[in-house]
Amino acid sequence: METLFGIVVDGVAYGMILFIISVGLSVTLGLMRVVNLAHGAFAMVAGYVASYAAQGLGLPYAVGLVAAILFTVLATLPLEKLLYRRIYGSANELAQVLLTIGLTFVIVAGINYLFGPTLKRIPLPDALLGTVAIGPKSIPVHRAFVIAMGAATVLGLWWLLERTDFGIKLRAAVDDPNMAAALGIRTERLYTATFALGTGLAALGGVLGAELLPLEPYYAIRYIVLFLAVVAVGGAGNILGSAAAALALGIVDTAGKYLIPSFGEFFFYAALILILFRWPHGFFQGRAA
Amino acid sequence: MTALLDVQGLSKNFDGLQVSADITLALHPGERCALIGPNGAGKTTFVNLVTGVLAPSSGTIRLAGQDVTRLSAQARVRLGLIRSFQVARLFRSMTVREHLELAVLERERKTFRLFASVRRTPGLADEVAGLLDGMGLVPVADTAVGALAYGQQRLLEIALALALKPKLLILDEPAAGVPHSESHRILDALDRLPADLAVLMIEHDMDLVFRFAKRIVVLAQGRLLCSGTAQEITTDPRVREVYLGSRANAPH
Amino acid sequence: MSGRHTGAVVIDPSPPVAAHEPRFRRALGGAAVPLLAAAGLAAFWLFPNDLGLMTRIAATALYVLSLDLVLGFGGIATLGHAAMFGTGAYAAGIAAVHLVSDPLVLLAVGGLAGGLVALVTGALILHARGLTLLMLTIAVVQIVQEVVNKARDLTGGSDGLSGIEPSPLFGLFRFDMFGRTSYLFALAVLLVGFLVARRIVRSPFGLACRGVKEDPLRVAALGGSPRRYLVTLYAVAGVFAGVAGALTAVTSGIVGLDSVSFSWSAEALVMLVLGGAGRLVGAVIGTVAFMTIHHVMAAIDPFHWMLFIGLFLMGTVLFLPGGIASLADRLIKGNRA
Repeated sequence: METLFGIVVDGVAYGMILFIISVGLSVTLGLMRVVNLAHGAFAMVAGYVASYAAQGLGLPYAVGLVAAILFTVLATLPLEKLLYRRIYGSANELAQVLLTIGLTFVIVAGINYLFGPTLKRIPLPDALLGTVAIGPKSIPVHRAFVIAMGAATVLGLWWLLERTDFGIKLRAAVDDPNMAAALGIRTERLYTATFALGTGLAALGGVLGAELLPLEPYYAIRYIVLFLAVVAVGGAGNILGSAAAALALGIVDTAGKYLIPSFGEFFFYAALILILFRWPHGFFQGRAA
Repeated sequence: MTALLDVQGLSKNFDGLQVSADITLALHPGERCALIGPNGAGKTTFVNLVTGVLAPSSGTIRLAGQDVTRLSAQARVRLGLIRSFQVARLFRSMTVREHLELAVLERERKTFRLFASVRRTPGLADEVAGLLDGMGLVPVADTAVGALAYGQQRLLEIALALALKPKLLILDEPAAGVPHSESHRILDALDRLPADLAVLMIEHDMDLVFRFAKRIVVLAQGRLLCSGTAQEITTDPRVREVYLGSRANAPH
Repeated sequence: MSGRHTGAVVIDPSPPVAAHEPRFRRALGGAAVPLLAAAGLAAFWLFPNDLGLMTRIAATALYVLSLDLVLGFGGIATLGHAAMFGTGAYAAGIAAVHLVSDPLVLLAVGGLAGGLVALVTGALILHARGLTLLMLTIAVVQIVQEVVNKARDLTGGSDGLSGIEPSPLFGLFRFDMFGRTSYLFALAVLLVGFLVARRIVRSPFGLACRGVKEDPLRVAALGGSPRRYLVTLYAVAGVFAGVAGALTAVTSGIVGLDSVSFSWSAEALVMLVLGGAGRLVGAVIGTVAFMTIHHVMAAIDPFHWMLFIGLFLMGTVLFLPGGIASLADRLIKGNRA
């Protein structure tokens, strides 16, 4: 029973991190049809910025978090203009894969040059240490914080997409780009804004998840496969799909690690193959259609 | 004589909407038939049903006496039921010759030969040369299709269909997109089709229809409206009605 | 879609559409094998101290050649090609440790294993396209790696598999400590592989695969079965990749977990695109260029290498979509104009 509780808490927290990062990828994939393999690198950059803010400059955790998100978004906007705009559209997955792998390599090399190959931490504030009691059980505060932030992200995105002008335009452009353009929606600005949203989510997840996905230069390459898996199962552009897929994969992976310690990844990818074999467009996309 | 294509009571519903209703049609070897009808009459659905892209809700399709209603599109191609495409669907980076080679090899089921040479396949070069010659494509034989004029692409579409040795050829708007001044080249090519081949042409260009088809079938709102010679069709008041609206029947 | 983004980059993994196939290219194709053989032998005399590296290059070129068959001629974008390479390497390695030592038999074992893995996984995943297919190929390579990692008794797990000691080639030529036999053996296998691959590309099957790559539905309308072509092509390429893996195992004596990794798959893709997908020579040129530069730069600092290859990749996509092999075309076109 204790193990089960541990699996659920850790699995959900892990799933929330996967969700926050992956949903950014999912949104850009859904709208701009771009497979951004550098998405993990963006999350990593934010993690390093937050780490530097805390350890190098001695700034509080919250300030470091905001600074990391702002820095990452601002730093990647020129990339959107110079690089990504050329590879939008589903016609050319190969160019997308290669260009974004290239960008990832450059970022990995840059991070290593600036911060070295060793593991970096983002020290948690006292408020996030210790445990919090939920009924008869107690869970680590940091896990609870991560879960709460994940839930807030789901709600925030829901509000953004369902209740704002931006969201209406974005959904219209996902459904039918040509029609949206004909209706006078300025797709270029929409793309830029969506790209910034996606990068911002990556940055948020990168900082929050530093405890679960440790920061080191190969982070960008090591975890991108996980993020892609969530998007593939959840369906591109599908927020609830991403959330469900991330939680499911997070729990399956954590359960695998707890119960059969050496077979964690194996379960993860076996589940992935089963799901994609049955629903090639993602589990949730496949059911909705 | 048994019909080559025998369609009986063919119907298709999409979510309760009937797009083809009880169509019965027979085609004999050597026939030249045209299928016409206003936009939305269900011509494309009919072609998709006959070629096996769509499964009918009811009715049967027989080809040379064999029931093919449940067969896949590929199986029907292998029985000689061949179509050409309205919008030229060709392999852009392949040459004209390679297209025809591929079609002939597909027909002879030699495409799983991994270690044979295309160029040294016995009889292939001669047959392809004949097809190229028949459609006047010899000068562009080694040109990549992406660099071909549109009219030539349409001729290649027809040559590609012929390379499969069809018994029944369905031509989906063979002159679509071809400038009027060049459509005679398409007609010339159609005139040279093998005499024993049954041809069903879907076409909007009435000049082409009248010059090519001995029999014309009119489809309207998913139903077979009437069938007859050019003369019979043009004087039939029902045809005038579906094309021109009911006022056309009012006394002048 | 792409029309609205001016300057959109489109990589088509096939040679650019030329009105007529340039005669020089056909001539070049005919001369490719003698040229490769001559270059390989010249390198043997010129760089006697780098035979180890050159052996790895030759084996890797065969691996990239196999990816070219899949991507360049079948249009299957994959990030999991190392599944076949690694399976071949481990199969040959395990066979060498426990069963046989004849190098040619070991290559056959590797090829068979690679082909089998490709056939089974290909039949499972090739119904998918685009991102889904990419994900499935990644999942396959990750699973294979995990299985290899867990089968520690057979594979050595994360320590790698060592103790592969092939008997003399044809019972005559010992694999000497200078790597002379290894290199010449690898070069010969690469050349034979190149010839066989070219034969397949020019066969009726190769023609059908090119058709599937461009428009699977049109191939179906000609009576063909696109999926069967793709699965067969995938399996055949799996044999090539498996032989390449076995060749690496036989000539280096060790097999590591990185031979069944996502990154080894991605590197193959990078090498292929560097050289130019859709032509067999491109695979070899790309491998030689990539691995030579890698060797020089990684000796200084692996991260310098990543910076360099990252910039190079971005530059290739943006400015040279046809890869290095297309440079010759461009130069010749430029001279004619």
